[in-house]
Amino acid sequence: MAALALIVVVLVITLTPYLWLVMTSFKTRLDALADVPIWLFTPTLEHYPKVFLDKDYLPLVLNSLIVAGSVTALSLLIGVPGAYVFARHDFPGKEDLFFFFLTTRMAPPISVVVPMFLLFSYVGLIDSRIALILAHSTFNLSLVVWMMRGFFEDIPREIDEAAQMDGHTRAGTFFWVLLPVAAPGIAATAVLCFILSWNEFLYALILASFESRTLTVGIPGLVTPHGTLWGQVAAVAVVATLPIIAFTFLVQHHLVRGLTFGAIKG
Amino acid sequence: MIAGKLASSILDRGVGPLFLAPSVLLLVVLLLGPFVYMVVISFTDLSYALPDRDGNFLGFDNYRRLVRDDPVFWESFRTTMIFVFGVVSTEFLLGFALALLLFHHIQRRRVILTLLLIPMMIAPVAVGLMWKLMLHGEFGMLTYYLRALGLLDPQTALLGNHQLVLWTVMLVDVWEWTPFVTLVILAGLLSLPREPFEAAVMDGARPWQIFRDMTLPLLRPIIALVMLLRGIDAFKEFDKVFILTGGGPGNTTELLSIYTWRVNFRNWDLGYGATNAFMVYLVVLIFCAVFYKAVYWSRST
Amino acid sequence: MAHKTHFSMGTAGLRFGMAAGGFVLALAIGSPAGAWSLEEAAKPYKGTTLRTIGEALPPLEAMDKLKHKFEERTGIKVIIEMYEHSEAVNKVMLDLNSRRGRYDFILQPHRELGRFVANGHLTPIDRFMSDPKLRDPNFKPEEVLYQSLWKEISWYGGKAYGFPFTALTMYLWYRKDLIEDPKEQAGFKAKYGYDMQVPATWDQYRDLAEWFTRPEQRFYGTAIQGKRHEALWYEWLNFLYSFGGDMMEVSSGSECGPIIVNSPEAVASLDYYKSLIPFSPSDTLNYFWDDVMVAMQQGKTFQMIMWNDATYAVEDPSQSTVSGKMGFDVIPQGKGGKVGQVEGWTYLIPAYAEDKEAAYLFIQWMMGFDQQLEQHQNGGASSRPDVYAHPDVQKITYSKASMDTNAVSIAKPTIPESPEITEILVLQLSNALAGKKTSQQALDDAAVAMGKLLGDCAPLKFPVN
Repeated sequence: MAALALIVVVLVITLTPYLWLVMTSFKTRLDALADVPIWLFTPTLEHYPKVFLDKDYLPLVLNSLIVAGSVTALSLLIGVPGAYVFARHDFPGKEDLFFFFLTTRMAPPISVVVPMFLLFSYVGLIDSRIALILAHSTFNLSLVVWMMRGFFEDIPREIDEAAQMDGHTRAGTFFWVLLPVAAPGIAATAVLCFILSWNEFLYALILASFESRTLTVGIPGLVTPHGTLWGQVAAVAVVATLPIIAFTFLVQHHLVRGLTFGAIKG
Repeated sequence: MIAGKLASSILDRGVGPLFLAPSVLLLVVLLLGPFVYMVVISFTDLSYALPDRDGNFLGFDNYRRLVRDDPVFWESFRTTMIFVFGVVSTEFLLGFALALLLFHHIQRRRVILTLLLIPMMIAPVAVGLMWKLMLHGEFGMLTYYLRALGLLDPQTALLGNHQLVLWTVMLVDVWEWTPFVTLVILAGLLSLPREPFEAAVMDGARPWQIFRDMTLPLLRPIIALVMLLRGIDAFKEFDKVFILTGGGPGNTTELLSIYTWRVNFRNWDLGYGATNAFMVYLVVLIFCAVFYKAVYWSRST
Repeated sequence: MAHKTHFSMGTAGLRFGMAAGGFVLALAIGSPAGAWSLEEAAKPYKGTTLRTIGEALPPLEAMDKLKHKFEERTGIKVIIEMYEHSEAVNKVMLDLNSRRGRYDFILQPHRELGRFVANGHLTPIDRFMSDPKLRDPNFKPEEVLYQSLWKEISWYGGKAYGFPFTALTMYLWYRKDLIEDPKEQAGFKAKYGYDMQVPATWDQYRDLAEWFTRPEQRFYGTAIQGKRHEALWYEWLNFLYSFGGDMMEVSSGSECGPIIVNSPEAVASLDYYKSLIPFSPSDTLNYFWDDVMVAMQQGKTFQMIMWNDATYAVEDPSQSTVSGKMGFDVIPQGKGGKVGQVEGWTYLIPAYAEDKEAAYLFIQWMMGFDQQLEQHQNGGASSRPDVYAHPDVQKITYSKASMDTNAVSIAKPTIPESPEITEILVLQLSNALAGKKTSQQALDDAAVAMGKLLGDCAPLKFPVN
């Protein structure tokens, strides 16, 4: 069973760094900074309340939730109908438009963040979460369109035809018939959207104001000349990553499709 | 009656534009707008730092400066290329091997696979932080064991040594993204039809031959896909390298995105920063076009 | 080799400061009715909310704890945004350049001053100081502040734009308990032939660093802030000045002059700085002020050069294992004699701020003796001599080192190009430390880059062929 042994080794390599992070969040400062790595230790819960209550990091969790949630809602609302059109309709320039959607996903954030900042400042949106929500939607929209196009294309056209014979308009077919059938795909897409927005760093760094900053931005913010408070930093990182890991289990069936833009079905 | 007919008509034939317009509109305003603005700025001398630089037109000066007068940009480009090719090829080899292992020898894949996904689902900032903790020169867990095994000199720390740091950063990326390659290639392997393989085995073909003459060619579109996706994302890499090293020591890990960030947010040389940004975007766009063709190829196969 | 004038504060200044302080206290206590009062002045602005931004460190946290007193007296609320150093600078840059007016007053490192003034982002402070409705007649900055510090930190081009929020400098931190340990003393004398003492010269510093470097015990003689970060530049300046060098030949920060950053003295200082790497922890080239702080707090290093506003954290028993064991002094001397560097964060009022007058009232109030004393005692770095003269402050272990260093500190550039000068130097210093270039090459490259940036006003005094 050499294969099994190999897999175990791989799993150890994969999971140990994360385990170490979680452990650090429960170690006293002395234990965390010890010369010899400590695996058995008396855990402490002090870091979590210190950073989330004393340092007032709880609003950051809320911001991450609100931003990621809104981004997902917005991207689905606007993107799913668009995906339907690509799946079921034909028009000149269709694939070119689809390519345009792809390029938006690929845009390096560093390339557009400064003009984006200036744009949002100009219209006075920079102090609210809206700027970040809109910025994240730019890359999530294409994810939704690409992913959902695949899901819609999976649904046999006979279903459409049956619905239209029942007297539905095309819009009606979409709302009443196709959406329910594609629900699992929509759920998977939603989770992926949420994850990508939640994890995002650069846009949040530049576009979020003090009140609207998210957890990811809060992580480097704990590096101070007092000495990095590793316990607290680890605590923030754990809170920033645990929900995502939970979501991963939910959506792993559809991850391949999502991450390859619908090109490969999982 | 007429209103009803009109509504019906819109909901029927107008569905195309109606459903597509919002997304196109949003993207045009939010992405195309800033993009155009970025291109415009790249032809000016805009700087937040120095006075009298409020955007005077410079023609192609910035571009000339980038091509001829900026060794730091080209060194950054070189570093990024090393990074991209290094991580993509390593992730490909390891990921493929792992996918084969899982495909041929493991039954309970779901659980293992889900666990393997964790590195790539964690926020890259957190990944950077995690590894910074483990690679710390004084209390890093990994540093300790590397030294104990004699692989690392007690006076050397991976992130502080200018000869080792780029490889170290690449290794972190391999840790983070190999599972992605594994996932996709495994999906590809699972989607292959069984009969041809069974037939080949019955004909007496050896595993290596089957792999070389059947598996690889059939998987080619998927391989192209995953490598291109990784290439594009590796090219855009910012978050974890920013946290791990900030581009240093010196500029040994200064990837293009980090250099662009520095020009924009440290020197506040926004005009030149936009020129940089445009070049980065251009390279990504080229990768994109190739990727798109590869996707087409895989969809039609 | 030109030298910038040292700011002499000596005992005369101290006595004068004490007198001024006492005078102000007397006035504050026995203030006759009908005179200016904060409550009166603040009446038209009652209900306003002020927003500011600064570095998330004890001085700002102290201000956060004090502000309620101001709010109670005036009805003006203050919101403080706290960020890590470079983010605090970035956010302000973006805000000022987009002219949004988000912040009513800001706290910024003084070397950003030239940049802001040149771009017209600030309102000079005398606009408010000359307004009898706003000005507290008891507050006389020309009498109660260290003038040299005020001039370098908050003035530019002959105009005052604010007051020092913190008067920062770097000095020597060392483990007093180890220097006083007889076993260490005996061993040191046996090896080096002279008595162990607080290092007064760089040779002594080096010997001590070597003596205390014991990798098996994971204890090191020193730690340098070698990461590619402005911390590196700040730290190297100590060596540069001490070896008799400088970046430009000027007499104040707001001038442009001949570039001397690649002088023989400068090269010598960088060579020496590099020589400390073997006596530092293994990843010292990835360290900035945060990491060297941890190293000292965890009892891993013997001595180093660090900031006065971080001393609070190493003396705090809740986070430091070496509190009570530390000693502080001026940095060792080289050819340049006793030196330090002027650094500070200053209060500034943006031209686009909405509530400038209310902001001024708050700033003026914060500069009052009581607030300055309380802030200083909670980790601040005041610029008022009367605060340093206070008996409680005198008792703090690092007050003397702070004052002594302030007295001999050298100004650094504040011209609009100064942040970019820092970036140039940080890159080259980092290259030299990493061994990619020799000290001469690195500083020559830096000089050339600086010359390109600054133009004709800064010729290279040591031309590079």
